[in-house]
Amino acid sequence: MKHWFKSGKPWIWLTAGAVSVSLIAVLGLMAMIAWRGLSFFWPAAIHEIEVQANDGTTQTIIGEIYDSEEIPIQRLQESGVQLDNFDEPTLRRILLKVGNREYVPLDFAWVMVPQIVRDETPADLARLERSKDGNFYGYVVAVLENGEPVATGETIRDELDRRIERAVEIGEEADALQSAEIGAINYQLNQLRLERRRLELNDKLTMEAEQAIADREQALRDEYQELEQELFALREQASRDAVVMRDMRGVEVTLPMYRILDATFPNDMSLLAEIGHFFKQIGNFITEDPREANTDGGVFPAIFGTVFMVLLMSVLVTPFGVIAAIYLHEYAGRNAVTRLIRIAVINLAGVPSIVYGVFGLGFFVYMVGGSLDQIFYPEALPSPTFGTPGVMWSAITLAILTLPVVIVSTEEGLSRIPSTLREGSLALGATKAETLWRIILPMASPAIMTGLILAVARAAGEVAPLMLVGVVKSAPMLPVDGNFPYFHLDRKFMHLGFHIYDVGFQSPNVEAARPLVYATSFLLVTVIVGLNLTAIGVRNHLREKYRSLEH
Amino acid sequence: MISVTPTSSQAEILDLENLTSEQTALEIRNLNLHYGDAQALYDISMNIPKNRVTAFIGPSGCGKSTLLRCINRMNDLVEISRTTGQIRLHDKNIYDKDVDVAALRRRIGMVFQRPNPFPKSIYENVVYGMRLQGVNDRRTLDEVVERSLKGAALWEEVKDRLNASAFGLSGGQQQRLVIARAIAIEPEVLLLDEPTSALDPISTLTIEELITELKSKYTVVIVTHNMQQAARVSDQTAFMYMGKLIEYADTNTLFTTPEKKQTEDYITGRYG
Repeated sequence: MKHWFKSGKPWIWLTAGAVSVSLIAVLGLMAMIAWRGLSFFWPAAIHEIEVQANDGTTQTIIGEIYDSEEIPIQRLQESGVQLDNFDEPTLRRILLKVGNREYVPLDFAWVMVPQIVRDETPADLARLERSKDGNFYGYVVAVLENGEPVATGETIRDELDRRIERAVEIGEEADALQSAEIGAINYQLNQLRLERRRLELNDKLTMEAEQAIADREQALRDEYQELEQELFALREQASRDAVVMRDMRGVEVTLPMYRILDATFPNDMSLLAEIGHFFKQIGNFITEDPREANTDGGVFPAIFGTVFMVLLMSVLVTPFGVIAAIYLHEYAGRNAVTRLIRIAVINLAGVPSIVYGVFGLGFFVYMVGGSLDQIFYPEALPSPTFGTPGVMWSAITLAILTLPVVIVSTEEGLSRIPSTLREGSLALGATKAETLWRIILPMASPAIMTGLILAVARAAGEVAPLMLVGVVKSAPMLPVDGNFPYFHLDRKFMHLGFHIYDVGFQSPNVEAARPLVYATSFLLVTVIVGLNLTAIGVRNHLREKYRSLEH
Repeated sequence: MISVTPTSSQAEILDLENLTSEQTALEIRNLNLHYGDAQALYDISMNIPKNRVTAFIGPSGCGKSTLLRCINRMNDLVEISRTTGQIRLHDKNIYDKDVDVAALRRRIGMVFQRPNPFPKSIYENVVYGMRLQGVNDRRTLDEVVERSLKGAALWEEVKDRLNASAFGLSGGQQQRLVIARAIAIEPEVLLLDEPTSALDPISTLTIEELITELKSKYTVVIVTHNMQQAARVSDQTAFMYMGKLIEYADTNTLFTTPEKKQTEDYITGRYG
């Protein structure tokens, strides 16, 4: 034993163990959120379950199995549930997602497994995904056109699919019309309002100017009227079809087709169809806007906001950090003051991020933004333009938060460059600045990229400061759109990290939101890994290019 | 065993004390150099003749590299260094306040102990100095590259891969590339700081042959810890010890009939 200790093997085991634990922790985390997040997109079977209560009455419940748990009977009895004829101390119960939110009091139902008398998965059970009120589960009875049935029986699924496709197309057209063209007119009308106000403030609002603005407003309003007519026509067309469904109560209900996004028969799917559906659902999640107070639909604006804000931050932090590092390393005297500054910079990295948020709100949003509004946007006051949280302030706040990382790694990169290269350049008659620009900076670029990678990793995951300086639970418009000047840095934005918090903690429908929390978390990790891999790819390319001399 | 007898094709023996101005490349007058409190060079005075190879020899730490780095003011990079005395290039003290150091270094090129090509292509390495001067005309640069690489006896080996990375060359090729880079801007003086100490014997031989050729166009000053090398390539040799110039004479004379005891001890291998 003593010999074994002396051989140094326990040390190897200890160190290897530490690595294994870290590895398991990381993989376990990834596996768990991936499993929980991705299984949400897999088409779950729809069960039709008959439950017999204690008094002998039976009830049919249709829904997807969402969760199941083992609970002690005693607890159920204490909470007032009457249960007889059970000997075991615990029983299993399952949570069913029954949907049909507008017809049942709760769209989730607990079912005691011992009370189940029948459990089937009929092939004809359909799940309708709807733009409002969540999913609908039931049997398709008939497809209606203008209130008249056009399909029943055999052809009903094809007919349903075709008409849903048509409704979705019309819906998309209407949405595009509303957000792009009508949105643009609204934007221009607002610009005109601001222009009038600006002229007014400058005492230049002459009769002619007023008339010109009014004319343009009138033209826009006319255009608006036309588009509105178009929109109404589309809505009219969309409301032509409907579908009659029989729900779990046995009641036939008529659902308008324009509310339906997709119809699936998960009990009647081949494996291939299931896989196809799985990827389609993931695609929808990534590309669609959220619905139903973020508890349904996709997260596209949040992905866009996260990536846009991080890129904006990178553009700001890199030049700033690199320039600061160059001064500290190349020009600043090697004395106590420089050392003090360097320590201060490193310690900045340890300041809690929420403090940066408070600073960003107080300094950037209120002071800088408020002043910008006074100087450049007086016509919009009292409603603020830049004097309110927005994507630009978020990017700047995070840039300051990540500045130390970039400075430190750039400085390290600068000090790793062999002095013979500097001397070689100087000996050819280069000045210090020329040497920096032509030799030192290119060679330090992999280190700069490392700094940027660390900065991106930190910034993409920050949520706390953003809540103060620009993130919102639902942003009606993206910070980039087709209206001049295309980049609207004053707008608020959605962020995946905040979206997780919002869906998980602020959601009106906790059960429905839970898988979304996992899915969004998984997506956030994927986005960060994606950003990092891109940066690492660039860095490796640079490293290969500027590989130092190896003898 | 390489003989210590000088074999280089000796030109006429010059009177180093009394050179005419046409014969002089550099005059060093009462040069002292301090690193902080420590004195590294003591009152050095010597004339370096034009279009000749002058070697500085001496044991490690004797100040020969320091003296060489004074000639193109590389010691300015050491913040704690302080220089007194003069080094005159065309009767102008290079330590005068109005001297543009970058311009001076264009006239006095330098090659270092280890090959230090830039992380660029062979072509871009050679034209680096030209680009610094704002020359970007492709044809001019092409000419410079060919002339310099030929001058450094590297052209035949690299002419088909001028755009390949300089790091792909061998150590000896890299050192010749660095020499090509230095002569691309046509300096008057070329300082070589132990240019072969990191190279294998064959590369060393190539470089030595190159040095002998270079003196037709440039004044060459070489620092070497290798006495045989000094004997082979140089026309006159300066022996330094402990920061002082002990003896400076025509290479033949210095190696065969040294005046000073210390010189004799060193070249016969008694210390160093």
